[in-house]
Order: sequence, then structure tokens, then C-alpha cells
Amino acid sequence: MSQRKKASASQSKSQRTNENEDEMTLSQMTSSQVLRARENFTSVQIDRKVAEVVQFILVKDQKKIPVRRAEIVKHVMKEYKVIYSEVMNRVRRTFEQVFGLKLEEIDTKNHIYILINKLEAGETVNMCPGNPKTGLLFVILSIIFMKGGVAKENLVWNTLKKLRVDSGEKHDEFSDVKKLVTDEFVRQKYLEYVKIPHTEPVEFEFRWGLRADIELSKLKLLEFVAELHDQDPQSWTQQFREASASESRT
Amino acid sequence: MGDEDEIGGGPSGVSDEEDDPARRREIRSKYRDLINSVQQNREDMLNPANNKLIDVLEEANRLFASVKQAREAALDAQLLVLATDLGKEKASQLHAEGSAFDPSAFAEHLLSFMGLNRLEEDDDDQDGHLNGFLPQDAWQKLAKRSEVCFKTAPSFHYMLGSFLAEPPPPRQRVERQRKAPSKEAKRIMPTQLKKMEESQQEATEKEVERILACLQKYFADDPEEPISYYEFVIDPSSFSRTVENIFHTSFLIRDGLAKISLDKEGLPCIGPVEEGEIETGGAADRNQCVISISQASWKEIIEAFDIKEALIPAPKTLSQES
Repeated sequence: MSQRKKASASQSKSQRTNENEDEMTLSQMTSSQVLRARENFTSVQIDRKVAEVVQFILVKDQKKIPVRRAEIVKHVMKEYKVIYSEVMNRVRRTFEQVFGLKLEEIDTKNHIYILINKLEAGETVNMCPGNPKTGLLFVILSIIFMKGGVAKENLVWNTLKKLRVDSGEKHDEFSDVKKLVTDEFVRQKYLEYVKIPHTEPVEFEFRWGLRADIELSKLKLLEFVAELHDQDPQSWTQQFREASASESRT
Repeated sequence: MGDEDEIGGGPSGVSDEEDDPARRREIRSKYRDLINSVQQNREDMLNPANNKLIDVLEEANRLFASVKQAREAALDAQLLVLATDLGKEKASQLHAEGSAFDPSAFAEHLLSFMGLNRLEEDDDDQDGHLNGFLPQDAWQKLAKRSEVCFKTAPSFHYMLGSFLAEPPPPRQRVERQRKAPSKEAKRIMPTQLKKMEESQQEATEKEVERILACLQKYFADDPEEPISYYEFVIDPSSFSRTVENIFHTSFLIRDGLAKISLDKEGLPCIGPVEEGEIETGGAADRNQCVISISQASWKEIIEAFDIKEALIPAPKTLSQES
């Protein structure tokens, strides 16, 4: 909590030119101002607002594009933005207790949220057929992880080609592969597609996106990769160390 | 630039021989070839199993012996930048503790997992041609297994509710009546509305009974042969009728008048329930599931099962207004 206040304090100092008035209001209010503002709304009204925010985020999550705080304030909160924190705390609780989902802020500077599942995959049985995009994403994320966190784009394209996925051609399942990987996955924050400086002609590299960092278990990923190779996951010492550390952090 | 080349022993202090423009062009061309080959075959050069990178450097060294002027030296420098970059990556492969990760091997293992059907015995891609083909559900299979690594929140979608089984012709009749003289029109309207309400409730029941009768008749004709669920509900001439059939059939299942089971090939079959076969309210296994169908799936099923006509005939009573 104190970290967030510090962040917003420095935000208001350095971002006076921030066009978004809502953001400034939120960061400049003191706690007594917030308490007084809360008096303006009945608890029934607040309940309804919480429900509206929950529904907004659920619908936004359909496309897996992260939700920004500014959007929530502009489209749903409106005059309730003065009690933003309280409403969001209740929203968070509702997601956990009613839906078994976690609302995570993947970018604390720009205030961007995603929804992830609170339950482990093994606890529930998923009857839906698998989404092929998940398979493709898994392959790319595995290559990046096993290569130490960065992979040159050509390495990824060439490996995919061996799997009969050619970034230059239309694919039966994925259509425009290049667009799916460099645009959709990037917007969903599963991947980062960054320019390597001083390259001529320009080259790009792939990294894990902020969503992938939170949504995936590196250990489970390594276990599956190991299974495919019929090897012990610990035989990749560095990756195993990284995966175990990441697991204990979550 | 050209003038300087012609003058022997000119300002650069270089002799005629080494200033020969044709010779210099040749050197530049060889450098460019080397640079291209490094760029195109990057992965090959990275392979720890060979020393192609060293060969390139040795070739560059030989060329450099003939280089006397800045232009060629610049190309040499460019080649060196590329080679150093590659060298750095090759070195990082060595530093890694534990096993190295080979993306090509990874790809091979993935292909096996996804069920690649190889066409010939011998290995593929000697000349870059990919051998074999992946089955239709290859990526889905991979997705299913890799889903476990993700903590993805299930997407929220509205469960679309049921719909009226019949179009509303009564409403049109009411509107026409309004144009007629007022007194009579007022008297007629209420009775029309009443009729609409009743038909809403009863129509569904009537349909369900009619479908049960169909099912029983088919089963009576041939008690041993299970009826394929798909063949039963699908109407190849109308998608909306198909959905209605699924809707009505689900009532039969719910009320315990029919049952769905899987045959030897794992395809669903439907049949009426014999009297006394299921104790109502007993501990019999009742399972719930949600069935959905899209126009695309509907067409696929018609093709796959070669369904030519609907087993459930369309109702004769209501004429569907176009």
C-alpha cells in the first residue's frame, strides 16, 4: 500500500503534463478527502458500482487484452473515482471469492490489470477443446525461456517452419501467423517484440511479456519440455534454477 | 576517386598494381559474398558441431592481405562485426551449464507428440523439404497438454437462453384487424392474444411428444440398431430446425424418456427408455452437459455422416412465414 502511494506521489511530481485528469485526481487525494467522499454514496450504490466494474473487466478479459485503470475510471467509475481504491479492493475480493480469479496489476507504473485463474490447472477439469493458439504460444515461450529469456526472431520463425508454420504463408489454423505472433500476442502482453539496436537490416527479438510472467508456471513449462525430450528437467541446470526461483515467488 | 587510382605512386603512396580498380572490385565482391554467406547461414555457423565460422575468418584474412584502401577495409570491418557477433553467441552456448537447448531437436519432439505422419522411412529435410503431414487436431492436442502450464482465466460468455420455437404470426393478424371498424376490432383483439399465450406453452410440449413418437417408431422398426444422435437431430435443409430438434430432444433426456450413450466408436446414440429401465429419482447416473452447434459444425456433420434427409420431419401445422 505504501509503495503505491510513493509511486503515485512521484507520478504527480514528474507527470504534471499528464493529460489524463482522472489520474491526477486519484493521486492527489488525501485519505481524509477519500473518507469524506465516501459519505456521498450509499452502500447499495457502491455495491452496484462494484458489480459494474466486475462485469466490465470480465468482458474486457474475453479478448485477453489488459485493462487500463484509465478505462475503468472513464467508462465505469466516473464520479465514483474518488473512492477508486475501496471499489477496486471489493472488486478484487469479488473476483477471488465468487469467480476464483485473481485481478493482477501487471504494470504498477501505468496501472494495467489482467485476470488470471486462482485455481491450479490440476484442480479443475477443463472440458473445452484446446485452443490451438495456446499450443503455438507455448512453443514460442518455451524457445525463449530455454534460450535464457531472449530469442532472436529468426530463430523462432525457423523453428516454427519445422513445425509446418511458415510466417510468410497463410496457415490453415492460424491464418496470418506473423500478425498473430507479433501483434495479437504482443497486445495481450504474452510476448514482447523488441528491436535490437544497431542492427542493419533491422532485427527483432522476442521476450516474455508481462502477462506471461504472471500467468505461466516456468516450472510446469520446463517439466513438459523435459518430458518431450525424455530428460530430467534438472539436466537444464540454469533453466531449472530460474524456474524454481520463479515458482517460489508466486 | 578515379583520378587518384590512375596516378601511380600518388598521394596515398600506393603503387599501380594495388590500385587496379578491377582487382579492388573483385576484392569487394568477395567480401560481400562472405558477408552474405554469414548472414544467410547464421544458424548453420552457430552450430557447435562445425567450424565454419573459423573458415570464414581465415578466408577474410587471406582477402585482407590484398586490402590497401579504406573502402575495402570498411567491408572487412563489417564482416568482422558480424563474425564477432556470431562468435559471442557461440561462446554463450559453451558457458551454459547443463544440457544445451537445441530448437531443432525440440521441434522434432513436438512433431512426434503432435502425431506427425511420416510418409517414408528415411529422415526428412536433407534438402529442406519437410516430410510428412500433421493430423488435423495436432495443434489442439498440443494446446490441451500445454494448457496445464497456464493459469488462464476462463473467458466470460453469456449462456444464450432458449428461444421461441415458433414465429409469431398471431401478431400480424391482430394488426390487420385494427384497421377494420373500431367496435368489432376491439372485441376481437383480446381473444387473439389469449390464443398466443397458450400456444407458447403447449407448442413446445407438443413438439417434444411428437419427437418422442418419432424416436419410438424408429426404434420399434429395428430395436437392435442404435440410432446415431447426429443423424436423428440434424435436418440437412435447415440449421434452425436442427437447433430446435436439439432443444426439444433435450427435454426427452431431462424427463428420462430417452437416453444418450456412446457406441463402440465413441459416437453418441439416442434411444427411448424402456419402462422400468430407470428408476425415477433413483441413484442412476444422470449427467448434465451443454450442447452447442454452429453453422460450420452443422455442415461438417452433414458431410461426415452423409445425412441426406431429416429423420425428424418438419411439423406440418405451422406454415413458416417467409
